[in-house]
Amino acid sequence: MGHDEKFARLSRREAMALASAAGAAALINTSALAQGAPKKGGVLKVSANANPSSLDPQTGGAGSDHTMLFPMYDTLVEWDYETLKPKPGLAESWSFSDPQTLVMNIRSGVTFHDGTPLDAEAVKFNLERAKTEQRSNIKADLATVASVAVTGPQQVTLKLSQPDAALPGILSDRAGMMISPTAVKASGNIDRKPVGAGAYQFVSWTDNEKIVVKRYDKYWRANERHLDGIEFAIIPELATGVRSVIAGQNHVAYSLPARQKAVLKRASNINQASGPTVYCQQIYFNWGKPPFNDIRVRKAINHAVDRATFVKATLDGVGEPAYMNLPSSHWAYDADVAKLYPHDLDKARALLKEANIPQGFELDLVGYTDQDSIRREEILIEQFAKVGLKAKFTNGSIAEISAAFFGKDKKGVGLLSAWTGRPDPSLTYTLLYSKNSYFNAARADVPAGLAEALAATRASENIDARKKAFATVQRIVMENALACPLAFQFELDALSPKVKGFKPNLLGKPKYEGVWLES
Amino acid sequence: MNGFFAFLRRDVRAALAIAYLALLVLVAVAAPWLSPYSPTAQNVNDMLAQPSAAHWLGTDDLGRDILSRLIHGAPATIYASFLAVGVAILLGVPVGLAAGYFGGWIDDVISRTIDTLLSFPAIVLAIAVTGALGIGLTNGMIAVGIVFAPQLARLARARTLVVRHELYVDAARCFGASTPHILWRHVLPNAIQPVIVQVTLLLAAALLAEASLSFLGLGVQPPHPSWGAMLARAYQAMDIAPEQMYPPGLAILFTALAFNALGESLRIALDPTLKR
Amino acid sequence: MAQGSALAMIGRRLLQAAPVIVLATFIVFGLLKLLPGDVAVTLAGDNATDDRIAEIRRIYGLDRPFLVQYGVWLWKAAHGDLSQSILSGEQVLTSIARCFPHTLLIVVMALGLALLIGVPLGAAAAARPNGLIDRATMTLASIGIAVPNFWLAMILVSLFALRWNIFPATGATAFSVSPADAINHAILPALALAAGGMAEVARQVRGSLLDVMSSQFVRTLRAKGLKTSTILWRHGLKNIAVNLLTVTGLLFNRLLAATVVVEAVFAIPGMGGLIVHAAIQRDFTVVQGVVFAMVIVVILVNLVTDMLCAAIDPRIGR
Repeated sequence: MGHDEKFARLSRREAMALASAAGAAALINTSALAQGAPKKGGVLKVSANANPSSLDPQTGGAGSDHTMLFPMYDTLVEWDYETLKPKPGLAESWSFSDPQTLVMNIRSGVTFHDGTPLDAEAVKFNLERAKTEQRSNIKADLATVASVAVTGPQQVTLKLSQPDAALPGILSDRAGMMISPTAVKASGNIDRKPVGAGAYQFVSWTDNEKIVVKRYDKYWRANERHLDGIEFAIIPELATGVRSVIAGQNHVAYSLPARQKAVLKRASNINQASGPTVYCQQIYFNWGKPPFNDIRVRKAINHAVDRATFVKATLDGVGEPAYMNLPSSHWAYDADVAKLYPHDLDKARALLKEANIPQGFELDLVGYTDQDSIRREEILIEQFAKVGLKAKFTNGSIAEISAAFFGKDKKGVGLLSAWTGRPDPSLTYTLLYSKNSYFNAARADVPAGLAEALAATRASENIDARKKAFATVQRIVMENALACPLAFQFELDALSPKVKGFKPNLLGKPKYEGVWLES
Repeated sequence: MNGFFAFLRRDVRAALAIAYLALLVLVAVAAPWLSPYSPTAQNVNDMLAQPSAAHWLGTDDLGRDILSRLIHGAPATIYASFLAVGVAILLGVPVGLAAGYFGGWIDDVISRTIDTLLSFPAIVLAIAVTGALGIGLTNGMIAVGIVFAPQLARLARARTLVVRHELYVDAARCFGASTPHILWRHVLPNAIQPVIVQVTLLLAAALLAEASLSFLGLGVQPPHPSWGAMLARAYQAMDIAPEQMYPPGLAILFTALAFNALGESLRIALDPTLKR
Repeated sequence: MAQGSALAMIGRRLLQAAPVIVLATFIVFGLLKLLPGDVAVTLAGDNATDDRIAEIRRIYGLDRPFLVQYGVWLWKAAHGDLSQSILSGEQVLTSIARCFPHTLLIVVMALGLALLIGVPLGAAAAARPNGLIDRATMTLASIGIAVPNFWLAMILVSLFALRWNIFPATGATAFSVSPADAINHAILPALALAAGGMAEVARQVRGSLLDVMSSQFVRTLRAKGLKTSTILWRHGLKNIAVNLLTVTGLLFNRLLAATVVVEAVFAIPGMGGLIVHAAIQRDFTVVQGVVFAMVIVVILVNLVTDMLCAAIDPRIGR
């Protein structure tokens, strides 16, 4: 996902709406949610941003896959679109009988696309496959699940090696996407032959061209699904995708860079939908290497960046400043932590002086080569220059640079990249700030108390207790300036006026529930 | 010197080309004094502005003055072209000379390698080499030089094949001159003519190659301007500000034209057998 | 040309081609392998951990010795199996079969345009040397060669697609699906590519014709009273045919390589995009396969042009 930005004068209403977090929700263009009874029928044509890595949720790895997986695979747990709070999905209820035992009751009457009933055995099969299948990319997600037992025809009991209140959230993502055991047993590799229990069943996948799904008549929520099918045309070039919507060839183009906002405004007959997401632009620090092993330098960077200008310049206002790894509308957001790092050049300079960083000190940073990344780098270079730091970016492809920064080469002291967000925040914080996690470039020790605070977020499922625990986690992370979050990118979608009922969600991975087409 | 001016007077096109290139070099050298603003000074309140008195060519998508970036892009561009061609000469000419002079299996091996390199999609080679060396203008142009080298090698080889049978080469050998001496003193000066012409044409090609590489994000790195990188940004803003693509595009076009014109004139001037 | 020598020529060429193909793919493999950047990291994606990455390397054989990996690939390729993309799992041959037609359509159209416009222009220029048409043609030709083709592409898009909405801005349709729509999408890219080609062809034609016209043979004909146009038509074209054919062959190969950036501007799912994305992401098998295919195409084109040249002018051909 990139974002590039063309400055268009914000109307006063928009500017004021952006000023408040609550106003962010108001950006959702209400005409896109127009009233009227949903009409049945029609094939929704979506311009998809990337060819999926795999249509098997357990073997794929790209965040861009989800929007094509959700129509075919329903998940055990689902979430509220605006806050990401977990709610029942294929599992109609669950509870922790004790902190290390999760009992899930599976809805009855649900079948997979090939007719196999979705029962406790099927769920057990899926969870165990996720943990043991050689090509499974999500073993780590279920690391705390020690065993899965079938304790009733529609009930599974998960025994955990340690308390993990994040599991419901985890089961709203890849690990919770239920695949038909019959299909897996028949062919082993279902990367290109997906069979799930979602609203639509797989028809075809022409690589880099199109994915076609058609409605599954025996879907358990058939009355909520109005379309006959969905066609994903794979158009990685987002400007092209927008043009295809303007030209009427497609109905939806999603996750657009902010610069398209001006284009959408000028096009007659195009609706926009927008809303906050957990997609966070940030500077990763390798806090094992100088100068970022010095907390004062990391704090200085956090004070030196002008997040408001960054949002304005790179996101055309379609975003919000990021002071921590959670956006303001998330259920676990803590407003106090946001006040830690106001934009303060003097403070930054003072901190740098204290840390004995001379004027003109060269920062060896890495980044990616796409034009949007380069633009962000240029803005940061200017901002750092104001406190006497000379930022030098070495760029490369995502494959190369990520491997070089996070892998054994340890190239550079900082990486300008993004965190795509996870359905449960404890995943985010664990993956980013644990001693041995891949995204901790230094593999260095984390500040005292962080590991315990993270464990606390998973200890109890009580939402208020978790909120408190997260507040502690966020405070420790930001007081130690373990990273420099810059901005949350908002979701921007282009919709044909025929599309009704579409809602963006906080995860930033569009779902098409409840969408219908005006003829 | 007189011959040179006579040449200019006869060939208006060459004169114009040389004048333009001289002007370009002047601009490149005097860039810091000539440009009205710093090429990296951003102004997020004035992005993608239309041309005005304050900004003769308008501003880009970060509010930077386009004229200043154009001016500062000149040295990068000139450096890039000459680096690439320099690498091509250093690699290609000796190899071609060796192949042509020694013949036999040396020639076979070298010719096969040249054929292989020539059948490559050039851009893949460039990506591969920049990947190995690291992305950046210098490395990118070294890659381009490596891609161009086979052409020069082939030309050098062809001429050497002819020259090595000339009488003066035989005479030198009879007198006991060493091979390097023969190659340097006798073969090279006579084999070099088509290479010189090709070199000027390659300067234009290198310019276009730099633009392509920067367009793909593999050339000059931020925040330094280059004409190719400016085009890449203009492409991003094409829906909203299509006029952004003209200043850098025209600059590339005129410079390439000048190199080509020079090459053509040189070709005619250096080869007396060529009929007009 | 005798049947036997034609076959001998083909046979000899193919034999000469083999080491070139091996060398080319080996160089590419070597470069990509030695480069920093790990496709395993991309495969692990959002859920990367050190263990998972090592596991992926094991599964895909990425941790085997360099020569073993290349050897395995070469062996399979010799049997017609170009392996699968490491990233998407699609058979490389399928990817190429999917992408090549798009690129081919554009290159063929560009070539056609170049010949259609370049030949008459060059001939007209040669008919009256230093006349108005000649000078205009030569100037246009210089511009055509000097213009960056992706800049031309951007201009064409912004005018014909975005402003005037005559042609689509981006994308491509398969010829087999809808020829008219396919051509519609391919016109702007072909135009962008053709500019340089037209210029080359025009210059070549003009140069060759001028050479022919001033040759002894033609001067004799003129002395005999034949009109310029007759001379041009009957004798000139045959002589320049060989040159033209050679230029066409070279142009085809050059356009094939040049489409890469133009494909990027028009978001065309052709060979250019395929190989660039694969190279950037270190998807070895795809890059290998595409290089393999392109080298074969280049060799075939060279072979065909040489054979046609030999057929036209029996003095050529060994």
